[in-house]
Amino acid sequence: MTYFSTYSLSRSFGGVRAVNDATVEIEQGKISALIGPNGSGKTTFFNLVTGMITADAGKVLFKGSSIGGLKPHQVALRGVGRTFQITRLFREMTVLENMLVPVRRFGVRELLKDAVGGSEAARAMLWLDRVGLTKLQGEPAANLSYGQQKLLELASLMMSEPELVLLDEPAGGVNPVMIQRISGLVRELNSEGTTFFIVEHNMPLVMDLCDHVVVFDAGIPIAKGTPDVIRDDPKVIEAYLGG
Amino acid sequence: MSSHLLLQAVVLGVLTGGVYSLWSAGLTLIFGVMRVVNIAHAAFLVLSAYLSWFAYTELGIDPLLSLFATVPAFFVVGVLIQRLLLARLRDHVTMMSVLLTTALAITIEGSLGMLWTGSHRGIEISYSTSSFSLAGISFPSDQVIGFVLAALTFFALFMLLRHSRYGKALRATIQNPDAASLLGIKTTTIQGIGFGLGLATAAVGGLILGLIHPFFPATHWAWIARIMAIIVLGGLGSVTGAALAALLMGVIESVVLVTLSPVWAGMIFYLVLAGTLVFRPHGFFGGRLAERF
Repeated sequence: MTYFSTYSLSRSFGGVRAVNDATVEIEQGKISALIGPNGSGKTTFFNLVTGMITADAGKVLFKGSSIGGLKPHQVALRGVGRTFQITRLFREMTVLENMLVPVRRFGVRELLKDAVGGSEAARAMLWLDRVGLTKLQGEPAANLSYGQQKLLELASLMMSEPELVLLDEPAGGVNPVMIQRISGLVRELNSEGTTFFIVEHNMPLVMDLCDHVVVFDAGIPIAKGTPDVIRDDPKVIEAYLGG
Repeated sequence: MSSHLLLQAVVLGVLTGGVYSLWSAGLTLIFGVMRVVNIAHAAFLVLSAYLSWFAYTELGIDPLLSLFATVPAFFVVGVLIQRLLLARLRDHVTMMSVLLTTALAITIEGSLGMLWTGSHRGIEISYSTSSFSLAGISFPSDQVIGFVLAALTFFALFMLLRHSRYGKALRATIQNPDAASLLGIKTTTIQGIGFGLGLATAAVGGLILGLIHPFFPATHWAWIARIMAIIVLGGLGSVTGAALAALLMGVIESVVLVTLSPVWAGMIFYLVLAGTLVFRPHGFFGGRLAERF
């Protein structure tokens, strides 16, 4: 049984096939990358599998059951989390409050609990410590640097204990030192059991961090394999250099 | 004018303002949660007043006890209105909700008129018609009961919004619905509960209305105008802003009533509304919209 896969997933916008018959598999416990030129459908693919938009056709399977057609919160509660290309924090909440937004169960008793107390807050502080944001816990998220916001977004996502994390350009617009911190964190989390699927344009980072690479061009997966194989694949080179 | 009279006016104004706080809190919450302008809010107040009046005069149930039925019923009705009607408006929700909730208000008004005619009604219970004095200031019992009920309900609402995980999920939903849903929050449920809570406060508010003021089916238009002015002054969507603005307006209204005339007391709401929209359209107490409670 494959851990996470899509079969013939398709979605058009007007006449444009943003994702076209995409069959993709990733393995548990690995860090996989999704690369491709701008506009090749990577973010649309993430939006499809997380239920933010609906597919025209195709299936999404996670741990043997279909998650295609589920609502975003249902996908999240199944254990699939994601971050965004441009961070989507709750900008007017503090750093600590942001950490406490994710829910692991959704019910009346859960909703009536104290918002910033108890074991959740303690867990949040552990995560903040781990990503080095402890001192900023009382700051509104909007006041953080862009790289810090990316770290916070990932840390708050980890509060919901996802098994599979989809990262949309974790290194985009971030300075080299912060890229090192983010990739270091991804590697650590991966060694603790979290599976990653990453959209990224920074090729040295992809080659360094990832076990497996899927390449999209015009919404179609055109190649897959280890970073070394992908680097020399003529189809990939052509897709990137134009043709 | 004597300072004693002025003090009396201020005390009555605070009591009235406390009640306005509760009425406006529900309305501004509904706006904050979903950008829905609930024109029917005061109609629900009047509906609740009628239900308590009916339960008391026809069935002999103490109006305070009838809250055990009206509060849950209004909550459920609120959730249903949100899920079945407002959720369908999607991207046009703010403008279209004005039409939809106006229709609701007219429907409620018409139904009340059919059931119980257009006559003035009032809930008069033995313990609400007296008054007591403290340091020469007179405290009418009905207004004190209303103020206490309003304060308790407002406090419960505030605690829920401020300190529960629901409140946090609600704020997350207001600030960024997509991100909230990806973190496991069922945003449609959160919004439904938000509307339900808004109407549940109207159930309590309506009983208070019935205890203090005479009412008839069309009275809600006068009230909705006042509480709209209050929530604009307080900053749309801000529950605390609405409470402060309500207290302020209660006192201003009462003082104007005593010093100038009853006509100006009613007018003052429209003057304040116009002034706020001209000089500070986002209100005086709210911060940025999403942070407002």
